[in-house]
Amino acid sequence: MKMHTINFTINGRKESLKVSSNLTLLHMIRENLALTGTKNGCEAGECGACTVLLNGEPVNSCMVLAVECDRAEIMTVEGLTENGELARLQESFKNLNAVQCGFCTPGMLITAYELLQRNPHPTPSEIKEALVGNLCRCTGYERIIQAVEQASGE
Amino acid sequence: MNNPLPRLPEFEYIRLETIEKAAQFLKDHPGEAAPYLGGTDLFVGLRDRRKQPKYLVDLKHLEGLNSLTFDPAKGLTIGARVTLNQLIDHRDVQKNYPILCQAAKQVGGYQLRNRATLCGNICNASPCGDTIGPSMVYQGSVNIFGPDGTRSLPLEDFFLGPGKVALVDGEIVHSITLPLPPEGSQGMYLCHGRNKLSDLAIAAVSVLAYPDLTSASGFRFRIALSAVAPTVVIVEEAQVLLSENPIEPSHFEKAAHIARQSCKPIDDIRSSAEYRRELVYTLTSRALNQVWDSLQSV
Amino acid sequence: MKKSQKILALIGTNIPRVDIQEKMTGEALFTDDIQFGVKLLYARIKRSPHAHALIKSIDTSRAEKLPGVRAVVTGADFSGRIGLYLKDRHIIARNRVRYIGEPVAGVAAVSEAVAEKALDLIQVEYEPLPALFLPQDAIKPDAPLIHPDLGEYEVVNFIFPKPGTNISNHFKIRKGDMKNAWKNCAAIVENEYYIPHIQHVPLETHVAVAKVDLSGKITLWTSSQSPFAQRDLIAKTWGMSPADIKVISPYVGGGFGCKAGVTMEALPVLLAMKVKGCPVKLRLTREEEFYTNFVRQALLIRLKMGCDAEGNILAMENTMYWDGGASTEYGVNITRAGGYSSTGPYDIPNVKTDSYCVYTNNTIGGPYRGFGMSELHTGIEQCVDELANKIKMDKVAFRMRNVVESGDILATGMVMHPTGIKACIEKVAEAIEWGKPSEPSAPHKKRGKGIALMWKAPAMPPNPGSSATLKFNSDGTVFLSIGGQEIGQGAFTVAAQIAAAGLGVPMDWIRISKPLDTDYSSYEWQTVASRITWTMGNAILDAAKDARKQIFKIVAKAWKENKKDLEIKDGIVYSTNTDKKISLKDFVITGIPKKKDQGWIGGPIIGRGKFMPTYVTGLDKDTGQGKRAVVHYTTGAQGFIVEVDTLTGKLEIIKAVSAFDVGKAINPDLVKAQIEGGMVQGISSALFEQLVFKEGVLQNPNFVDYRIATTMDLPDKMESYYIEVPQDDGPFGARGIGEHPMVPTIAAIANAINDAVGIRLEGPPFTAEKLFMAIKAQNKSVD
Ligand SMILES: Cc1cc2nc3c(=O)[nH]c(=O)nc-3n(C[C@H](O)[C@H](O)[C@H](O)COP(=O)(O)OP(=O)(O)OC[C@H]3O[C@@H](n4cnc5c(N)ncnc54)[C@H](O)[C@@H]3O)c2cc1C
Ligand code: FES
Ligand code: FES
Repeated sequence: MKMHTINFTINGRKESLKVSSNLTLLHMIRENLALTGTKNGCEAGECGACTVLLNGEPVNSCMVLAVECDRAEIMTVEGLTENGELARLQESFKNLNAVQCGFCTPGMLITAYELLQRNPHPTPSEIKEALVGNLCRCTGYERIIQAVEQASGE
Repeated sequence: MNNPLPRLPEFEYIRLETIEKAAQFLKDHPGEAAPYLGGTDLFVGLRDRRKQPKYLVDLKHLEGLNSLTFDPAKGLTIGARVTLNQLIDHRDVQKNYPILCQAAKQVGGYQLRNRATLCGNICNASPCGDTIGPSMVYQGSVNIFGPDGTRSLPLEDFFLGPGKVALVDGEIVHSITLPLPPEGSQGMYLCHGRNKLSDLAIAAVSVLAYPDLTSASGFRFRIALSAVAPTVVIVEEAQVLLSENPIEPSHFEKAAHIARQSCKPIDDIRSSAEYRRELVYTLTSRALNQVWDSLQSV
Repeated sequence: MKKSQKILALIGTNIPRVDIQEKMTGEALFTDDIQFGVKLLYARIKRSPHAHALIKSIDTSRAEKLPGVRAVVTGADFSGRIGLYLKDRHIIARNRVRYIGEPVAGVAAVSEAVAEKALDLIQVEYEPLPALFLPQDAIKPDAPLIHPDLGEYEVVNFIFPKPGTNISNHFKIRKGDMKNAWKNCAAIVENEYYIPHIQHVPLETHVAVAKVDLSGKITLWTSSQSPFAQRDLIAKTWGMSPADIKVISPYVGGGFGCKAGVTMEALPVLLAMKVKGCPVKLRLTREEEFYTNFVRQALLIRLKMGCDAEGNILAMENTMYWDGGASTEYGVNITRAGGYSSTGPYDIPNVKTDSYCVYTNNTIGGPYRGFGMSELHTGIEQCVDELANKIKMDKVAFRMRNVVESGDILATGMVMHPTGIKACIEKVAEAIEWGKPSEPSAPHKKRGKGIALMWKAPAMPPNPGSSATLKFNSDGTVFLSIGGQEIGQGAFTVAAQIAAAGLGVPMDWIRISKPLDTDYSSYEWQTVASRITWTMGNAILDAAKDARKQIFKIVAKAWKENKKDLEIKDGIVYSTNTDKKISLKDFVITGIPKKKDQGWIGGPIIGRGKFMPTYVTGLDKDTGQGKRAVVHYTTGAQGFIVEVDTLTGKLEIIKAVSAFDVGKAINPDLVKAQIEGGMVQGISSALFEQLVFKEGVLQNPNFVDYRIATTMDLPDKMESYYIEVPQDDGPFGARGIGEHPMVPTIAAIANAINDAVGIRLEGPPFTAEKLFMAIKAQNKSVD
């Protein structure tokens, strides 16, 4: 297989990699860059655990090819914290115990983070709709929805 | 039991500068190359080995394919690479093609719709593709670019069967055109899945209606049924019934009966054929009544 | 300050989760996140396409020659069997396959892609055998045997297989006088329910990495609820010393029972034995997770219940056929638990129970949050509703009259301990405004209310042990070494809370030693059965007591005071007698200098603690009678208000309420989080979930067609309550709450549906389709 050279920015850092055609963005992030915060829950676009921002938009990274990310800007859960400081959204997840096993959490946070960028004061039903592509088996979602709502307040 | 691969199989990613070159490449590699947009259907097929192309020909960067333009005279042109979220967020689409927005919102989750396209949904030609019915009641057509030039095909002639469309090797859907909806039209997309949102449709109904003085009822209706036959069903007989007779509430039930009879559903993991038929009846009757109410209230 | 006041500051307080920071930054390490470098090999497994067949031949020669392939294994490589309660499973099939998806060969290669290619080169020849997919069929006398060698399998002494049949356990209760009891009944209800297979669906699929060094020692990195049980089971299987196996288990991305015991983890071990020195990773795809891993057994339950005219339940006959699947190594104990709890939380004088674990050619059944109780209560609680109906008694009043109370003699002969189930019923009934009709939102919609009770005991061997070690650092901070796993339920937080309260130090002085590592962590049987807060909590308290004893001894000696006059608060030892104080930091490692530089008192403090229930007795094989069947029961109730669209069958949950008696809520918010999450999982299983098999082939091995609840499927309103009737031997009175919140859910929803539209379906999931069809049939029969 041919290798393609791609240059991109991830969490504000410039990177250059040689990738094969069939490498997904998910595997590139987890394996080539060892940014293991992004999770693999299905590799089929169904669970949302692999959600990252690609040029500011949330995508299922298991459904994106790495070769397409030349000149792209990528943000993963690792990019949410600045200098070790939790973002407001993370603070409200913490306040409300909106995390259990934590496997869905990175994807949830990224999807919710972008929702708040796009719609700073979403209603509960807008939050639910925005997060429908992020499965969580532990929490029953209620606290996650409340946490996003809390983060949107003030 | 088909055991999907742990990751994507080998293929070559192809990115050519022009649509001409892309079309030529597809033509030169019949059966071996697949056009690639959001990949949300393609990747699933690749992993479970239903699709085994050697080449994925990316179309997303090609000129003209990303345009989403609304012309108050001619209607809407949706470039092949326009994502479902772009469509949903577009003011003119929301205003003039609300059924399409309603349907597009049913596809997967938000992040999936940042990749998934209308064109992909249509070209994939799944009987349960959410946006196909609405595109058909808007009387859309696909604009096709091929090595031998361009052509347009009404959607009604585009679908040949589940997963089968009227394209020949080397042809690429360049865009989809939806003409301006008739003046005063109202419509709705009602779909029924197992979960409240994000599930594939078990059955879905698209209804578009508008005032028309040339018809006996003063209105015309377009009704499309999804997920209940190999391809979307346009319920001609019900459309005629509702146009050619003065409107009576009982006609909506009658039309719903006709819809039930015109579909050819199957039993599958999502539903029995029988339940699909029943849903077609209920959803059609609901959609017709609600659309009728909104026609009245305008 | 009094001791009780000091404890109050930490126990019963909503301390933030200790694991939350790293779980929100992406730092939290899960097994698949561990980096192994270039030596890492990837495993893929060739699986049986047949539900039941003899293996005629396997040819792996072409696969072995493929560049990049490092090892190939088949059943020929290992003849032993593995199993927690009954050794009936080969790690890789030998001679015979018993379900679709059973491993027949494994490959380790330099990449998943190469390993996958190698699988295609392995040729297996099968001779298909007749297969059994329903327990009803499998118990027939002429049914083909799935395990002809059942009689030779090693089994624990409380499981009773019947060689020569497909029954791997038969648990019986015979209590009272059934014949006369039926005669005295004013009403009798007989019903049958079927609860299909479902899956745990942890968001993290199973993943395990094994490495075997040149001397044969094994290291296994796994996503596991039970690293010690895995170590011991693997040791037993290969005849090794547990000391030569090291299991390391970081955070677990959801367990719900499926990561207990050993499932797929032995496969990379077998491969790693052939490529010594190289770690071998096996990660299940989502699809494999669905069709090859343990599932919740299906249950066919036949119930007969009767009561007198006043509404006292007099008798119950409960016959359960559990679809154990192709192996029942773990499942046999579920059928036992279903047996000894078979009355549900009711006081019933006459009981006849037969709980059968039946082999079929379906996927292997295993532990699932609730360990049989959701399935059992789905039957009982609907039957109880029907019985109340039959004698025209209010369903809540009927339950209040019959529910178990402190001092009742249970069906097994055990005496019931104090429990708050009546308070739970009252709470739930009040919250859903029981007895008051709820107005539907449209004329074609109907509303109903339903309630269901539950009880559940930790199901385990009689003597599962826990231990804990507290190791001080020079600044007073403490490493708490435990073997209980953090699987999302909050175990690490509660452990730290108990340790801090037990020692008398600030919460942030406690650090959990992680990841769990069987070489360094303190022994714990398994993180299952909702037992961890209770049993591990006790071990931690015991360790704290031990540490305090050492601390007081040193300080008393240094101060020449009586040990009894010393206390610890906020990390400072003080005397209630004099005003003396000393911070733990000042001596827990270095000791206290004697006066005038005359030497030292003390040294590093290490608290050691343990807990093991010693009072659980065996039960008679023929009657199920014994002094104490289980350690205790957590009880509770749920109530639902539902609305059914009669034209589509679609069900909407208007309100869902839970109340459980947790003994003592150490961390109330975490208790509520468990209740909410469990209830939604229960709702999901009631409305959507079923593994659909066609001749043993799973039809929905993915999220596309195995739907689980999403954000959009939540009840409009959810409330959770807890009651606190203390457990006599629980830490601060606590009992477990991990599994219970999903146990009554299916039944409560079923009862609400019945109240709304008068329909009882054979079993879940209560899909719109099934409801619609039943309503349609009902309308027809009325016409
Ligand atoms: C998790 C998940 C959930 C989903 N949920 C839904 C749902 O609820 N409803 C629904 O309708 N669908 C659903 N889908 C299916 C899919 O997302 C949609 O069909 C989507 O619109 C496809 O668009 P795409 O751009 O990703 O297409 P692609 O996968 O890129 O392409 C689809 C097919 O069309 C061909 N093709 C692409 N572009 C062209 C072109 N220009 N000319 C000719 N042929 C072309 C491709 O070769 C391929 O065969 C879901 C998919 C996933 C993974
Ligand atoms: S891993 Fe990408 S959606 Fe599940
Ligand atoms: S917290 Fe476990 S999946 Fe969401």
